[in-house]
Amino acid sequence: MTPVLCIENLQIASAGQVLVDNINLRVEAGRPLTLLGASGSGKSLVMQAVMGTLPAGLDVRGHIGLDGQNLLALSPQQRRALWGRKLALLPQEPWLALDPTMPVQGQVSEVHRLIHRRSKHEAQRLTQQQLDEVGLQQAGQQYPFQLSGGMCQRAAIAITHAADCPVLLADEPTKGLDSALRDSVAARLRHEVNTGRLLFTISHDLDLARRLGGHVGVMRNGRLLEQGDAAQLLQAPQHPYSRRLLAAQPSRWPQRQSREKGDLVLQARGLGKQYGSRTLFEKLDIRLHRGQITAISGPSGCGKTTLGNVLLGLTPPDQGQVQRSAGIAPIRFQKLYQEPPAAFAPRQRLGRAFADLARLHRIPDRAIAALLQRLQLDEALLARRPGEVSGGELQRLALARVLLLQPVLLFADEASSRLDPLSQQQVMQLLLELADERGLAVLLVTHDAALAARTADQTLVLGAPRVRCGDCSTRETDRASA
Amino acid sequence: MNALTRTPLRATCARQPNAVFSARYWGGGLLLALALFALLGAWLIEADPNRQNLMASLAPPGGDYLLGADHYGRDLLARLAHGARLSFGLAVLTLLSAAVPGTLLGILAAWRGGITERLLVTLADAVMALPGLLLVLLLIAFSPGHYVPLVLGLSLSLWVEFFRVSRARTATLLIQPHLEAARLLGFGIGYRLRRMVLPEVAAQLPTLCSFALATAVIGISTLSAISVGLRPPTPELGSMIVELLPYYAEAPWLVLLPSLLIVLLVLALQLIGGRINT
Repeated sequence: MTPVLCIENLQIASAGQVLVDNINLRVEAGRPLTLLGASGSGKSLVMQAVMGTLPAGLDVRGHIGLDGQNLLALSPQQRRALWGRKLALLPQEPWLALDPTMPVQGQVSEVHRLIHRRSKHEAQRLTQQQLDEVGLQQAGQQYPFQLSGGMCQRAAIAITHAADCPVLLADEPTKGLDSALRDSVAARLRHEVNTGRLLFTISHDLDLARRLGGHVGVMRNGRLLEQGDAAQLLQAPQHPYSRRLLAAQPSRWPQRQSREKGDLVLQARGLGKQYGSRTLFEKLDIRLHRGQITAISGPSGCGKTTLGNVLLGLTPPDQGQVQRSAGIAPIRFQKLYQEPPAAFAPRQRLGRAFADLARLHRIPDRAIAALLQRLQLDEALLARRPGEVSGGELQRLALARVLLLQPVLLFADEASSRLDPLSQQQVMQLLLELADERGLAVLLVTHDAALAARTADQTLVLGAPRVRCGDCSTRETDRASA
Repeated sequence: MNALTRTPLRATCARQPNAVFSARYWGGGLLLALALFALLGAWLIEADPNRQNLMASLAPPGGDYLLGADHYGRDLLARLAHGARLSFGLAVLTLLSAAVPGTLLGILAAWRGGITERLLVTLADAVMALPGLLLVLLLIAFSPGHYVPLVLGLSLSLWVEFFRVSRARTATLLIQPHLEAARLLGFGIGYRLRRMVLPEVAAQLPTLCSFALATAVIGISTLSAISVGLRPPTPELGSMIVELLPYYAEAPWLVLLPSLLIVLLVLALQLIGGRINT
């Protein structure tokens, strides 16, 4: 009998409110399942229901079958006994989930020792084998903070290999990774499927779903809108929402019309920056004009954000200089951050943050209300704290906050990379519209080449950093002149 | 724990909130009861804790003396109530004089950096290197039997914890994006420290405070017990225990009751302290 994980009539409710309803899904060997959906669509709840980690107080009904057992009928202790033996979870953003105080090797071998009760010698041998498999043979003695995001992801995969479970649950496996790493994670997961594991992935990355193949479901507001064969559904989705989701990928965005260059805002000459013994960039000349979108792209760790910070004056360059045009107030150079919640004081209500800003710069309340409306934000959001607002809304609030100061230059540091495709599209569209309306120079740091290509007037591609290189691997393409 | 087992474990912990709550509630309830006894007891019980009645020397509990009387025939209940009030009062005073400067200096050190930080850190390390008792003894030598040097001496060794925690928290906060954003938005350092750093640092304080209070309570009674802190006839719990120890065979409750009061006070503080942040 081939193992099957099947979810039937799953319903999750909280205090009378139905959060997830009528979910019917099936994962078979060789046919992975990917659940797509924006944040808040309920896909994480479905995965937690399978794993048995739903928060207390939720009412779960239906049937989740694995090996002829109904998982939902088991006691918490019995479900816990399945973890690491039948069910393995690949957590999202593994660099946060790995133990920061233990080298990678120990984290793999403790699965052998503590879960499978293998001998020390046996555990060591298998650990080495599993680290070899994911290409981390050299990194066993390293701590997670010494590894890159991709290596942490592979370490987490090695840990799930150690568990050797028939079912692998992958929670947003490509979140926060750049495109090259995304490809390798997809290939790695595909390999898991080929070795006969049942793979259940939740993601908002359509590209990942396409690469994994198998079965795809689209969720919204706790309902399964559509499911079907990956190739078919992602080619010709039936439901309007799936179509919107598909169209929200940067590669399908319309090409932005390039604008007239406005006044010069800032110019940099001969910029260079080293990080330890690595040269991030060298002899770089950049001019930023009003009304122009400049994208900086490249793989992670190449110094994109550092370059942006140097241009904005947050980090001093090692060589060269940055010159702002005369007569512009310093507060008109602003920044949008990668993680929207990190850009707001966590305990301060948003309304308070806006009120304090308005008082400091004598901004009338009307201006705030008008701007919030322009950014399609409900004023009721201001009564909440940053943690209680979705990422897309919070990023738009951050945009509203900087726009109140009439900026001339806005540095958007991966400002949409943590958002689901629809929120990403909305934030970027509004950012670009407002940049056009107000003649804003935008510096866009992104690892998404498609996004850069669709939106930018000029793109600066930074290569991987070289150790003490002779010539720098930067290249400038000016689309307006090409 | 590693990536595989960590998330589920956290979820299991979240599913047993009762264990967490009960310890905290027990601690809170106990502390409230003791605080009421200390605040109101001394006022409600009309007996003078220092009035001697040699006829009632070592009187057993019951009768005129609810909890009995000591070797001078002083009412034990009144002495306990006054002792508890004194312990509470001095511990809170010690806490305030340790926590306020400690926290502010920690923030100052992390914010200013450079020579300011190095000087303060060296000072804190130097204090840590000295046995706390030594500091108190040094100060008490100036004015024996008085409570000011006692409080000052204890806070001199207790402020270090507040300094270290608030400095570490501030240092990690200052490099957070939201503080950089606030700077770019034009907010001055005063606003950033008051509105963004202080609330975060303050969130760490309850646990530290309750442990520091417990340490202060023990410290005050220990020092009084070795006749360095407050001296008889002041009804201080530590000095009462030592004063009454010779009568243990005839009247064990005289020693046990003040000891029990100290144990309960420290227990209550430890119970709420260990749980506040979860």
